[in-house]
Amino acid sequence: MVLRDDRSAPFFDAARRAELVVRHCTGCGELAAPRVRACPTCSATALDWAPVSGAGTLVSWTVLRDRAGGVTAVGGIVELAEGPWLRVRLAADPETLEAGLAVAVAFEHQDDGEPVPVFVPRERAEEGVDGRR
Amino acid sequence: MTAAPAIVGLGITEVGKVYDRTARDFAADAVRRACADAGISTGELDGLLVLPGLSDDLDLGLAEDLGVRDLKLLNEIRGDGTSACTAITFACLAIGSGMAGMVACVFADAPLRRDRRAGAAYTPQEPPAGFDGLIADAGLAGGHAQYALATRRHMAAFGTTSEQLGAIAVAQRAWARGNPLAQQRDPMTLADHQNSRLIADPLRLLDCCLVSNGGIAVIVASASRARALAQPPVHVLGHAQSHPIHPEGRGSGFGLVSGAARSGPAALRMAGATIEDVGVAELYDCFTFAVLLTLEDYGFCAKGEGGPFVEEGRLLPGAGRLAVNTGGGQLSGYYLWGMTPVAEAVIQARGAGGDRQADDHELVMVSGNGGVLHHHSTLVLGA
Repeated sequence: MVLRDDRSAPFFDAARRAELVVRHCTGCGELAAPRVRACPTCSATALDWAPVSGAGTLVSWTVLRDRAGGVTAVGGIVELAEGPWLRVRLAADPETLEAGLAVAVAFEHQDDGEPVPVFVPRERAEEGVDGRR
Repeated sequence: MTAAPAIVGLGITEVGKVYDRTARDFAADAVRRACADAGISTGELDGLLVLPGLSDDLDLGLAEDLGVRDLKLLNEIRGDGTSACTAITFACLAIGSGMAGMVACVFADAPLRRDRRAGAAYTPQEPPAGFDGLIADAGLAGGHAQYALATRRHMAAFGTTSEQLGAIAVAQRAWARGNPLAQQRDPMTLADHQNSRLIADPLRLLDCCLVSNGGIAVIVASASRARALAQPPVHVLGHAQSHPIHPEGRGSGFGLVSGAARSGPAALRMAGATIEDVGVAELYDCFTFAVLLTLEDYGFCAKGEGGPFVEEGRLLPGAGRLAVNTGGGQLSGYYLWGMTPVAEAVIQARGAGGDRQADDHELVMVSGNGGVLHHHSTLVLGA
């Protein structure tokens, strides 16, 4: 379960609308990852939020395993089509993962927490992770 | 004869699964051992730099524990894995400016407890909220997962393989067999590495460093005072840091290049040396991949060629002119953060390595790496 805090509230408000947002620098216009506190391009701190397509490609990934060898998590770095990176959960067969794989966001709705952006291989994205996008 | 300040004392406590001692106790023990090694009394110290690890009991109170008074320099240095090289750097600068004349730098930690597994010490506890919560939900909060992401990116870009990482682990285990302090000294084959369980694919158990209790201190003094002391001086000929802080976005160098790429050449320039002059490299090795990337970034091989550079036993003892992680490093020796490579560098530079002494030890390069390849510090040491 993922809970919001003050800084992430706008991100999760958008996620509840099934919209993925990133930071937009009002100084230089560049987009940046949602978690930044200053623009990595120009160091400005006047950042607002901008929606992105939710399409991206896989940069790197890891499969976490417990002591018995069972998969406990599949996570990776996704480069959004607009440029920023997200470190996110991947809903995919680990064997199919490769650098450059086309992926798209789907929001996984949890009972008590915030909707979690999960990335799925793009050919599967139309189906959604849990039947909704 | 160089005028550069020198490391004149080295103190290493019992290390490894040594229970029921606090980090602060290890730290005081290490400083006293280092002073004895240098042939000075603790009262001759006028500077103390304290390097805490995970344990929260090690702080400026160490000065009182040691019974040293009227210090001219007393600070904590916190720089993750860079803190050892960094503290020695600041000690040199303080000595060069006349601020202090005899400075102890000490790291100690006691994360191992009888009642929990070693890995638990470095596992994040309750998941945080917000963006960090998303990272934790994805399984990516731990150091092993983040280094796995870096490693996988290098593999995808350059074709680096798990077997090549295994060659690093195997070579360091072979070196560890010559180090009486090493925690892991049983022989290791590449098959052992490949059969060790996946922790965070592509990283296997034998790609990961140990967890250790213990403390290490070094004493830094001016070149002129160093000549009169008990040990052959190990001069700090060059030092540098680099903190690239790769942006999280297109074009990022994460996993492809670290701060070593700038820190290494800068430290060598200060020493008036080139990479070809270096006979021993003691490289921070929280994971095998950190060794491979640092070898590339320092320029021992070309970018992307770290895999071929280490494979086929090229890092085994006696295999080549360059000796790497001669005490077994953090993978097979012991994990006392940046002091693991520093201590072995001092031993090698003195020619005191015994069974594991490298032939060409005139110039020794030491790395410290912090964060997830975010921070880097380098020392170039010479007799």
